[in-house]
Amino acid sequence: MSRPKGGLQPVTGAAYPNWDAVYRDNVTWVYRLMYGKVGNQPDAEDLTAEVFMTALRPLRVSATVPEVRKYLRMTARTVLASYWKDRMGREVTSIEGDVPEVIEPESFASDAPDKVRSLLQGLPDNYRRILELRFLQAFSVREAASQMGVTVANAKVLQYRALRMAAQSDEEATP
Amino acid sequence: MSDKIVNRFVEGLLRGQSTERARPDDFEAEQMKTAIELRAARLGSDAPSEDFVSDLHRRLAAEMAEEQVPVSHPRWAPRGTRRQVVIGGSVAAASAAAGLVVGRNLLASGEALQGATQAQGELTPNAGTWRSVGASVDLPEGGALAFDLGSVNGFVHRADAKLEAVSGVCTHQGCKLWLDAPESRLRCPCHSTSFSLEGATVTHQLPVAPPPLPKFQVREINGVIEVFAPTKSV
Repeated sequence: MSRPKGGLQPVTGAAYPNWDAVYRDNVTWVYRLMYGKVGNQPDAEDLTAEVFMTALRPLRVSATVPEVRKYLRMTARTVLASYWKDRMGREVTSIEGDVPEVIEPESFASDAPDKVRSLLQGLPDNYRRILELRFLQAFSVREAASQMGVTVANAKVLQYRALRMAAQSDEEATP
Repeated sequence: MSDKIVNRFVEGLLRGQSTERARPDDFEAEQMKTAIELRAARLGSDAPSEDFVSDLHRRLAAEMAEEQVPVSHPRWAPRGTRRQVVIGGSVAAASAAAGLVVGRNLLASGEALQGATQAQGELTPNAGTWRSVGASVDLPEGGALAFDLGSVNGFVHRADAKLEAVSGVCTHQGCKLWLDAPESRLRCPCHSTSFSLEGATVTHQLPVAPPPLPKFQVREINGVIEVFAPTKSV
């Protein structure tokens, strides 16, 4: 960091002083964003690392905070796309590119909980229940089965069908 | 139940495992997407772990420091993830893996490694003067001395007959450090961060290691120890 010569620097149009500050300020939302797109910790960590490894080096020092965030988001978008292409040959999830106004990192986080809630509400009771137990409450199949008073095989079938139905209504809901 | 691709994916997802390769069709991919949304909505599951955040910080620090070395070296392959890299055998992989090891062993291996992660700045005021902080006789070899000049405070110590002075303010949130003389540590009362007398971050319990303490210029003249500090405001 160099000291400003001859006078104070204005704080408006703030830029980050160095890569370290960029990292500290943005690592959490980048991770959350990635986690929301892949759903598991090891991949979310690898992808977050890749975003910063790729993005920090060419980053202009003078870029403003919103510019840096937008750039990180664009990098995350590319990184996620190539991850899915490699794993599944197609993009299972993606990061929207044209967010009109990138204001606060928190707004990136997600509307996931709301979306999931309305998705679950549209399902028959036992379908909703099995998905809640397995995905949201971390029950094993066995635990979920006993909770619902069905056999393990039954619980598996329920989960399978519930996810199919949820995916169908998810698809319809997403334009 | 016939859809093995989706079942496999969902089982891995619910176990928290990395995603395996597969070639799903449209509807299978849609089910995977829904499964991810459901899994990611689990409460409290989307915060990065402290270990990961500080570990990546160190790897980046190593990467950014390497940047300044005018030697040709293979660039970090942007596609290489940590797990792949650790298994791989290239020079880049070796350095990245070393970075990872440094991160994990931070507490055990002491300040030498830690110092490499972030540059230690020098506290150089726009306008300063040499100000006395104590007599030479008060600072024996291996000893440390606290000083407070109003505008700045810190600690000066003598090792191998050389003097060094560092700031006495924690680089995390500005709490005043205290001298733990028996352990040769500067300790922060706020978050248990500790620094060596040379200013390197030794232990911390924060998501990201705080930077090292800035150094003062220090000299010894006619039996008096002096530190270059901001000129007193009138």
